[in-house]
Amino acid sequence: MSGGNVKLESLTKRFDEVAAVDDISLEIQAGEFFSLLGPSGCGKTTTLRMVAGFEPPSTGKILLDGDDVAKLPPNRRDVNTVFQSYALFPFLTVAENVAFGMKYKSVPKAQLKTRVAEALEMVQLSGYEQRRPNQLSGGQQQRVALARALVLRPSVLLLDEPLGALDAKLRRALQVELAALQKQVGITFLYVTHDQEEALTMSDRLAVMNHGKVAQLGTPEDVYNEPADAYVADFLGVSNLMDARVKPGGQSTGCCRLQMGEFTLEANAGELNATGAVKLAIRPERINVEPYETVGANRVPGMVERLVFLGSTTHVYVRLATGSTLQTLVRNDGAELPYGQGTAVSVSIPADALRVLPDPGVSVGEIHDETTGEELLDLSGTRSA
Amino acid sequence: MGRRQGSGRRNRWLWIGLAAPGAVWLLVLFVAPFYVMLSVAGGGINEFFQTVVPVWNPIHWSSFNFSAVWHDIVGPGAFIGSPALRTIGYTAIATVISLAIAYPVAYFVSRYAGKRKSLFLILLIAPFWVSYMMRMLAWIDLLQQGGFFNSALSFFGLPGNTDWLGGKSVTVIMGLVYGYIPYLILVLYAFLDRIDQSLIEAARDLGLSKWRTFWSVTIPLSKPALVAGTFITVLPMLGDYFTNQLLSGAPGTSMIGNAIEGQLDSPGETGQGAVLALMLLVVLLIPMIYYVVSTARTSREMA
Amino acid sequence: MASTAEKPVSGSSGVEPRDSQPPPRSNPWRRPWALEGFTWLYILWSIVPIAIAVLFSFNKGASQATWQGFSTKWYVGSQVTSVLHNPSLHHAVIQTLILGGLTTLICVPIGVGFAIGIDRWRTRTASGLNFVLIFSFVIPELLLAVALFLLVTQALTFIHLGTPAEVAGLVVWNLSWPAIIVRARLISIGRSYEEAAADLGASRLGAIRRVLLPMLMPAIFASAVLVFASTVDDFVIVEQLSSTANTQPMSVLIYSNVHGGLSGPALNALATIMLLISLIVAVIGFVAYRWLTRGERTEGGTEALTGIAGI
Repeated sequence: MSGGNVKLESLTKRFDEVAAVDDISLEIQAGEFFSLLGPSGCGKTTTLRMVAGFEPPSTGKILLDGDDVAKLPPNRRDVNTVFQSYALFPFLTVAENVAFGMKYKSVPKAQLKTRVAEALEMVQLSGYEQRRPNQLSGGQQQRVALARALVLRPSVLLLDEPLGALDAKLRRALQVELAALQKQVGITFLYVTHDQEEALTMSDRLAVMNHGKVAQLGTPEDVYNEPADAYVADFLGVSNLMDARVKPGGQSTGCCRLQMGEFTLEANAGELNATGAVKLAIRPERINVEPYETVGANRVPGMVERLVFLGSTTHVYVRLATGSTLQTLVRNDGAELPYGQGTAVSVSIPADALRVLPDPGVSVGEIHDETTGEELLDLSGTRSA
Repeated sequence: MGRRQGSGRRNRWLWIGLAAPGAVWLLVLFVAPFYVMLSVAGGGINEFFQTVVPVWNPIHWSSFNFSAVWHDIVGPGAFIGSPALRTIGYTAIATVISLAIAYPVAYFVSRYAGKRKSLFLILLIAPFWVSYMMRMLAWIDLLQQGGFFNSALSFFGLPGNTDWLGGKSVTVIMGLVYGYIPYLILVLYAFLDRIDQSLIEAARDLGLSKWRTFWSVTIPLSKPALVAGTFITVLPMLGDYFTNQLLSGAPGTSMIGNAIEGQLDSPGETGQGAVLALMLLVVLLIPMIYYVVSTARTSREMA
Repeated sequence: MASTAEKPVSGSSGVEPRDSQPPPRSNPWRRPWALEGFTWLYILWSIVPIAIAVLFSFNKGASQATWQGFSTKWYVGSQVTSVLHNPSLHHAVIQTLILGGLTTLICVPIGVGFAIGIDRWRTRTASGLNFVLIFSFVIPELLLAVALFLLVTQALTFIHLGTPAEVAGLVVWNLSWPAIIVRARLISIGRSYEEAAADLGASRLGAIRRVLLPMLMPAIFASAVLVFASTVDDFVIVEQLSSTANTQPMSVLIYSNVHGGLSGPALNALATIMLLISLIVAVIGFVAYRWLTRGERTEGGTEALTGIAGI
């Protein structure tokens, strides 16, 4: 059965009084690699489980190629799941695991073996038919789980953080493989993850979720470059959120003049018609750190607080004269950096890259550097600019 | 196949069906018998046949048997008092001794046995498979007048002609310990084995000596083990009658179980036996409820 | 590095200041031989009497205390007193096996179904039934035996004393073994395998049959072995619910003859047979358990032992 269009209409799931999934409506095109991205507790896994059939929705519809499947049990839906824990049956061999579901599709015995072999080949595990799950590594188990689901040729494949248990290098390799596999097979993938790098790497489109609602939906480029609010900006990479006030009378020709501390900045992106107190976001790779004497628009003096070497890049933390600390990114191209810890510098914040964001009204909380895990300062309001 | 009622919780009948035979069996053969016991206790006697006449309706329950038992406890010619006290005494002593033996053994095997853990486990589990009869029989053989134990005593110059099986409390207590300790060791082992080694390592790391770690960390962590072990030892032991029967047979060491059994078998006193059994049950009810509640709670926490 | 600039922290109770500690009197890595010795002493005390009793079942003479030479007369030799030839001893062996087999065959399926059903049927009734089950685990057997006796003689008289009543009572008494053991295993298995099966197309019953039961098989087996052993050993319920001497299993026979009656070593022989039956069943169970869990085993070979003991 081709197709694989998934439509959620006003989907809500309540546990006691709490809405884990709050009135979500979205449409996933057939053949798309679609990700649900968000921190733990945002409702992404619950949404997935509702599509799979393990949780009944409180209200709303789940349409699979136009048919409402919300009342169907999981074994009657043309949807298969790759579980976070793989859930491979330990008492069966790899081949028997992969063949498990075909019994219910009345696949004739002659075809069984060939289809199993095909599926294993697709995940590059040919030859492993007689092994048992406990003899396989984590990555191999995940592939068997994938093969077991794909062999049934569902319209939609659901993946619940399948790479969570693997180490970083393996994860990166498998991300590429999974994306390639999806293109090869052409099935709709609905992928759930909390890792923004995964979502950005693999998805055709993604939805960032926050407390049960969709904060933003779009392509990776859209969501990263044009985040709709401070939450999305901060979830997908570093956003260097700063507080500022819009200067009245400054809106002209698509730009916005803002007051941050004693400095005036211009911004060309985001909510240019906002007034009053707003948040500003800029990606680390767009900031330029220049010698102290450099003058020009959108430049704020500062001091290099810390340098963190990450291999191919260096994170430079600069403390602005306004008090905020920005994280910037410098490629390590062999040349030595012209500044060190404590050097006075001038920070250039290009207007095209400076984004004005509305405050989403939900707490952003601590902001963590996703690479080093260290907690950056909370820029969202406790420190006055 | 028609449309099902929906996934998950709405369709319960499968689970109810699976649980039903067991539930029925429990209700009919575990719960109902106690109601019968109540009815017999609150009933009367057929004077002619000296058989029991149960009274099913609670309104008509009589206190005839209850007062008879009350007299047996406190009236002149009372004979229940001493077995009751003795039961408590024996059980307490036997439990303390059992814990004193079982804890070090379980502790050793769970923490220090290393590669030989399987060997020790086999040796500890073995008595489990040896029937109770055989274990008691073994001691009866040894403690006989001409048996090994007396021979060994006289070999060491001690008097070797004591009649150990003739009604000695020491023998009964030892029999209780011997009989119940395998269960205790295994339960303690199961709990102690689950103690997270890193908690103990953390204590040592922070500067506590071995002894201090033991007292301040291991013992508190063993509390659930000790509680569970005490319950599964004390509760059944209070109803024990056969250990005394096998190793002594004298009324001087009888426990309350013997009294119950004796009355039950005597024609005309069956009702009183039922009352005694009920009284024992009531006494045990509170600790049993506590045990059941805490077990259910911990198993839910682990789920 | 032991630095002279560092002052030792004044020791609060139990926390030893690093620099003022006397050199340890003993190697901190030494084996705890005191504990080990104690353990071995216990094991000896536990097993040696049994070994002696088994030995004496092969005694040539009639004494249970003086060794008079090796003989198998108590088992098969003597025409009158051996287990093979003496009818009441003979019947006792058979009755034990019958009781063990029947009870296990009834108790285990009921118990397994109960465990699965109660675990999924999450209502107060279910918890209530679970409570009742745990009660049956801690209650003194005598109380249950008495209650059952009264039930069978006063109310449900269609359950005749003797084998039917004994089996009924034994099933109830042992129901907690499969129910608790299987339930524990069920909890540790979790829901994900059944969900995976449902995802792949299995109905709920199909998922239980094809996935859950195979995964529960080790626990089911372990509980079956335990039920059998427990039944072979049992005599409180059996004695209370027995009818004529013909239906006495070995345990009751030994009990009633200990203070006189049958000659000593014959009892030893009977008890040894009981021991053998239990041991054979235990070994079969152990081997089967290891075979059944061959796909799941992690390191450390003690799971089979603890699993089989129901821990």
